[in-house]
Amino acid sequence: MLKLPQSSTDRKHFMIVGALVVVTTIILGFFLLAILPIKAQASVQAEPIRWLFQLHLWLIAFLFSLVVVFMLYSLLVFRRRKGDTSEGEHFEGNTVLEIVWTVVPLVLVVIFSVIGLRTLQQATSGGDDVQVEAVGFQWSWTFNYPNGVTSAEMVLPVDKPALISLRSNDVIHSFWVAEWGPKQDLVPGMTTTLHITPSKVGEFSLACAELCGLSHWSMLAKIRVVPEDEYTAWMDEKLAAQNLQTASR
Amino acid sequence: MRLTSLGVVRGLVGYFAGMLIGMAVVVISRLVLGMSAWDQEAVWVGGIIFSIIGFLLGVGAMSDWLKWTRGVQTPLRHGPPVNQPAWTRYFGVDYNHKVIGIQYGVTAFMLLVVGGSFALIFRSELADSGITFLQPGTYNTVLSMHGWVALAAILLGIAGIANYLVPLMIGAEDMAFPRLNAFAYWLNVPAIVTLLISMLFGWDSGWTAYPPLSLRGPVGYQMVFWAIFGIGLSSILGSLNLIVTMLLMRPKGMTLFRMPILCWAILATSIIQLTATQLIGQAFLMLSFERTLGMPLFNPIYNAAGENIGGQPILFQHLFWFYSHPAVYVFVLPGLGIISELLPVFSRKPLFGYRWVALSSLAIALVGFLVWGHHMFTSGYQPYLRVVFMISTLLVAVPTGVKFFSWLGTLWGGRLTFQTPMLFTLGAISVFLIGGLSGPILATAATDLFLHDTYFIVGHFHATIFGGFVFPFFAAIYYWYPKITGRMYNETMGKLHFWLMTPGFWLMSLAQMTAGTMGMRRRIADYDPALGVENVQLLVTIAGFVIAFSILIMIYNLFTSAEVGVLAGNNPWRSRSPEWQIPSPAPEHSYARPITVVGEPYDYGLAGSTYIATAGAGDD
Repeated sequence: MLKLPQSSTDRKHFMIVGALVVVTTIILGFFLLAILPIKAQASVQAEPIRWLFQLHLWLIAFLFSLVVVFMLYSLLVFRRRKGDTSEGEHFEGNTVLEIVWTVVPLVLVVIFSVIGLRTLQQATSGGDDVQVEAVGFQWSWTFNYPNGVTSAEMVLPVDKPALISLRSNDVIHSFWVAEWGPKQDLVPGMTTTLHITPSKVGEFSLACAELCGLSHWSMLAKIRVVPEDEYTAWMDEKLAAQNLQTASR
Repeated sequence: MRLTSLGVVRGLVGYFAGMLIGMAVVVISRLVLGMSAWDQEAVWVGGIIFSIIGFLLGVGAMSDWLKWTRGVQTPLRHGPPVNQPAWTRYFGVDYNHKVIGIQYGVTAFMLLVVGGSFALIFRSELADSGITFLQPGTYNTVLSMHGWVALAAILLGIAGIANYLVPLMIGAEDMAFPRLNAFAYWLNVPAIVTLLISMLFGWDSGWTAYPPLSLRGPVGYQMVFWAIFGIGLSSILGSLNLIVTMLLMRPKGMTLFRMPILCWAILATSIIQLTATQLIGQAFLMLSFERTLGMPLFNPIYNAAGENIGGQPILFQHLFWFYSHPAVYVFVLPGLGIISELLPVFSRKPLFGYRWVALSSLAIALVGFLVWGHHMFTSGYQPYLRVVFMISTLLVAVPTGVKFFSWLGTLWGGRLTFQTPMLFTLGAISVFLIGGLSGPILATAATDLFLHDTYFIVGHFHATIFGGFVFPFFAAIYYWYPKITGRMYNETMGKLHFWLMTPGFWLMSLAQMTAGTMGMRRRIADYDPALGVENVQLLVTIAGFVIAFSILIMIYNLFTSAEVGVLAGNNPWRSRSPEWQIPSPAPEHSYARPITVVGEPYDYGLAGSTYIATAGAGDD
């Protein structure tokens, strides 16, 4: 059994705690990655979000270990033994330590501000090769393409930067496809926009992410990301059907 | 004893009489003005305003002031009521800060149980996918009620702690304005009744009440707006009272940096409450005006050319969060103060870096005013604002870190013992750590664009509120219980409560965050099984019920121990704080003789030092 030093300022304590913090950080980091499987991974804009999220998890793993290991170690080592009636060691603080743990977090804040800014730019920018307007209303969606095509499902070509304009005429809604990453509110009285470059073919679910009344929970729409030729075919078919309809009126 | 001798009964009679009068006033005014007699929005608003005034008149919270306007002097009466059982003083207007503190505390606890029960109702619905017993409309109302009832519970709980403890801790006779203190408490009661009545009509926006949704729903919204206005006004008056008390009524020798650390936390909290609460009061009044009078404040209206000549929905969000974010610090700062207060006692060591801990509360309060926009990253405001609010929000981590590290410094090298209050203090640190560390991930705007309005947020803020308020509140209840009742709570039941609630809460937080990253939105009545979150949701529900069960144990413990608990004596914790140097339960007039401060508050382990001295006969 390891013999622990009597004095609380003995270097040995800090070496043990330091080693435990490193081990715990690694275990906790992988644990957090496993239990927090962030779904954003099917668009160009989702990538930086996912990357920053996982970077945060490592920082969390470290800071959590730092505090909790120090705390549990204290609880174990500095607990009152049976029959001990003495008081704790008398020290009121340490200005150098206080300055250190003010300045170091401040530096971390600066670093994360820079990283955060860059990630934000990546997650909110993109081109407008494809344009589509999404209109949200209580409690469903319609999608309008610039060529006049209107659809209840949104179809986009894969790997083409899309600019989605968002409009609502009743209450605030929010446009969110979890796999794509970012979400954006639809605000009555203004048009908001969202840049998405889908990077994976497949079917996704668009969900309203801002409580909008009775059937908010079911305000969903189907999103299909398809290869470009399939997109063109779908668009032609839609156009033809719509023209037929107009002609027959 | 007649029932009407209880102030609260007279108050309720006044409440409903006032409601009828208010409705009649509106109907008659409308007829006189040549309008149709009935407009439910206007009639209800009239009813609500008059019912709150009716309650305050009935309960007698304004009696002294009304007498003063007629030139009648009314001495400040202290002591139990004459010709009535002593317990009746808790059901009417009483000016003793300890009675008001208990009134606040018990009301808060009841609201916590009600608000928690709402959560259990919709948690049961969410345990699996598919709508089973709660229709979406009811679901939305119960969810929205959970929010405001729980927040009211927290505001009142903090007021309870502050009212009971601040005068005791600084050796003051009472609060600076005892009548205002009683008025502030009793203003909450009709407000809460109004809030509960809103359920009958329903409202479905969540506690945030964003327009235009909150301008469209049922008339229940009007009740929420005015109830929150009432509770907010009470907050403002209460914090004013506390600030004056702490600044002007400290004893000789108690400089600001020799105040018990909890007072610093409450000072910081009170500054926020006094200066920010108006914003939400105003925002909710504006919603009420828009609904009642049709003033175009938030809802856009279009002219023939399609231009918006009406209001701006995002403006409301700025007004709302300008209070509601600092309010988070109102909720947690007193709790962090309790942690800082209790750790030295159970570690038998001075609080590490007293001045840094004290000033970090003020720093959090001040930075807290600059971060409201981080709730609006997805709102559609100007994109550059995301950067501003990202940086200001990350800054909050700095003073918060100072607190955590100072707590570790306090534990290090102590002689730690683990009675229930200490366990809840340590539990609070662990839970607040989960809440705190999941903050920066939401502050960096890009990650928030994904996490906003998901269950990750739900996990984050419940951890913050439980770690910053609920756990410390329970620690405080167990810790000061002997001073309030004169008896000890049951230690075994206390520990059982802790060991059920804490792991239960860890599990609940993590499971909520997992659900969020998997794509579960918040505030939804049902979810798609394809999301794959059913197991996680079931875990959250089970954990929620474990927490609720542990709180039942606490209630049983507190009730029975008041009768059969071991007599506590003056100072069961061997604390240096002034309130433990007087008999338990604390007497009507707390300090028989004025105290003076002769040392530092937390000099545990320094031989021969004391914090306070009581002036003996002859030396004053």
